Amino acid sequence: MLDTASRAAGRQRSPLRRPSTPTLVNAGVIALLLLVALLVLPQLLSLYYIDAMTQVAVYSMVTLGLGVLVGRVGLVSLGQVAVLAIGAWVAARLLFATAQPYPVILLEAGVATMVLGTLIGLPALRLRGLYLALITLMLAGALTVMLATVNFPNGGHGFFGYNGSAVHIPAIRRPSIASSDPAYFRYSVIVAALMFLLAALHIRARPGRAWAAIRQSEPAALAAGINITLYKLWAFALASFITGVAGGVMAGAVHYLYSINFPTQDSITLLAVVLMGGAYSLWGAIVAALLLQLLPALLNNWGVSADWLTILFGIGVLQVLTTAPAGLADQAPKDLARLGRLLLGRLRKLTGSVRGSQ
Amino acid sequence: MPSWQDFQPFIVSGLALGGAYALSGVGIVVLYQATGVVYLAFGAVGAMGALIAWSLANAGTPGWAAWLVCVLFGGAVTLAYGMIFGPPLARRDPLVKAVATLGLTLVLFGVMDLLWTTNGGQSRAITLPTDGGGFTVGQVQVTWTQVIGLAAGIGIVVVTEVFLRHTKLGTAMRAMANDREITATLGVPVRRVEAAAWFGCGVIAGVAGLLLADLVALDATTLTFLVISSLAAALIARLRSIVVTFLAAIAIGLIHDLLTPIQSLTNYRDMTPFVLAAVALLVLPRDPVITRSREEI
Repeated sequence: MLDTASRAAGRQRSPLRRPSTPTLVNAGVIALLLLVALLVLPQLLSLYYIDAMTQVAVYSMVTLGLGVLVGRVGLVSLGQVAVLAIGAWVAARLLFATAQPYPVILLEAGVATMVLGTLIGLPALRLRGLYLALITLMLAGALTVMLATVNFPNGGHGFFGYNGSAVHIPAIRRPSIASSDPAYFRYSVIVAALMFLLAALHIRARPGRAWAAIRQSEPAALAAGINITLYKLWAFALASFITGVAGGVMAGAVHYLYSINFPTQDSITLLAVVLMGGAYSLWGAIVAALLLQLLPALLNNWGVSADWLTILFGIGVLQVLTTAPAGLADQAPKDLARLGRLLLGRLRKLTGSVRGSQ
Repeated sequence: MPSWQDFQPFIVSGLALGGAYALSGVGIVVLYQATGVVYLAFGAVGAMGALIAWSLANAGTPGWAAWLVCVLFGGAVTLAYGMIFGPPLARRDPLVKAVATLGLTLVLFGVMDLLWTTNGGQSRAITLPTDGGGFTVGQVQVTWTQVIGLAAGIGIVVVTEVFLRHTKLGTAMRAMANDREITATLGVPVRRVEAAAWFGCGVIAGVAGLLLADLVALDATTLTFLVISSLAAALIARLRSIVVTFLAAIAIGLIHDLLTPIQSLTNYRDMTPFVLAAVALLVLPRDPVITRSREEI
């Protein structure tokens, strides 16, 4: 009896068991989307949109990091753009200073950002909820002021690598295999895909379960023996790492970095789009990145002011918070399904009445 | 190190700036106490009011009418927001309520950028009639606007303290800060008291917007996100004490301006509110995990 039970349990745990149909469908959709992004998009799009899509890839990592914090653990950070700036700064400094291969630099930027983010996060984790969000806003504000004075490296000497009087500023280099814009787009999509994989692995495993418990109720998680501080820090570290890598990819994408491109208020917009996209699903991160980077590019092309977008984001936040807490990634399929059911019901009623009248 | 002489003018400007910060900080604290909402759109409302006043004044409206419109605009927008979004969010986490006001901030910011486009280098300015006159203390020129800045800060503290302690409405607000449900059970018209708090906070936002537009700059971005600096003062007071908010605001304004003449630190002076608030938040005693009160940290 016991033997069969344990064998059944063993069979269930076996890694070779057939994955369920939704998982397969999901994997198929992801593979298809990746193939389209890697092979079809670079052929179809003009350089303008390829650049925009590269930014989408970069920002999908940033929104992913914030999404993990907000959606998985329930920690709201209003300073993620400052974290992105740290990643970009470290990557740019290393790219100017060394001839290391690009992936190594991305990794180093990620790790450096992770260390800094965790160091900042460590004291901040004493606070929760509203106060945590506000202290991250304060720290981001301080960092932005500092960055405006220190500036991004532009090939100068010294620790900060900034040369204010340089006339010819050298461009930040790209990996040799991806020097053209379409190639660099593919490169950033692959990096982003790896980061999503990293996040998904975390969510499926022990940290993900611990985060879910913490999000539900900290006292309950504590009672269940979960090390709250450790797992919160883990989430901060993961989000900072991903955002740092995004900063590294961004450095190569834009070639020149300026501190005015990382204002504190962008962190607020970032939180807005993450909430709109949906913080509880990884798809939400992609929706958010499209909202944040592709939509402005489209509007710019159509000659519509980007201010409309800011207004839209504001309304979006209010709508999400009052009526649809899981965001677009959750709401859109549900609404479509509801619409489908409604149409189907109408159709049935129609055919039914037709049949009845016959 | 600059001499004492160099610091003198910055004491005056620092006190004025601190007074204006105090105005914003107290507005935020009062609304938070009454409704549990950290009103992050405070700066945006004030900025838009100031821009409207600027447009009106340019169109030939007498100054006092333009300023009145600015102040009333702040009150009206804030009241409308509170009436529309207050009830559906009333039972949500303080964090959700605060983030929702960021939505309003973004809407107002977008509208401002759309209507008052930045015209290449040509800057707008609000000049209050109090800018011209003034007096000298020692060798330091003091304008009346600076006096008003500090006086407004002190005034708001005194008025709110008296209002909260000695009027019926103020007492109702304090009761609501303790417990909304019990207050409602005791027969206090909770919604009406909340409406008063929203309107009052909006009026303060309008006044602060006007003052800061004159003392700092009339620029949508600057004024909208100046709320982050004012918020620092409120945070140091843990969104609770009005007097501490005032003192913190004065300290922030003074330190910020006194760093200006110091060569090595002048570029970093804008960090003052953030650093002070971060330090203040971090040295707060650690909150036990189990308590889930209104003052959740």
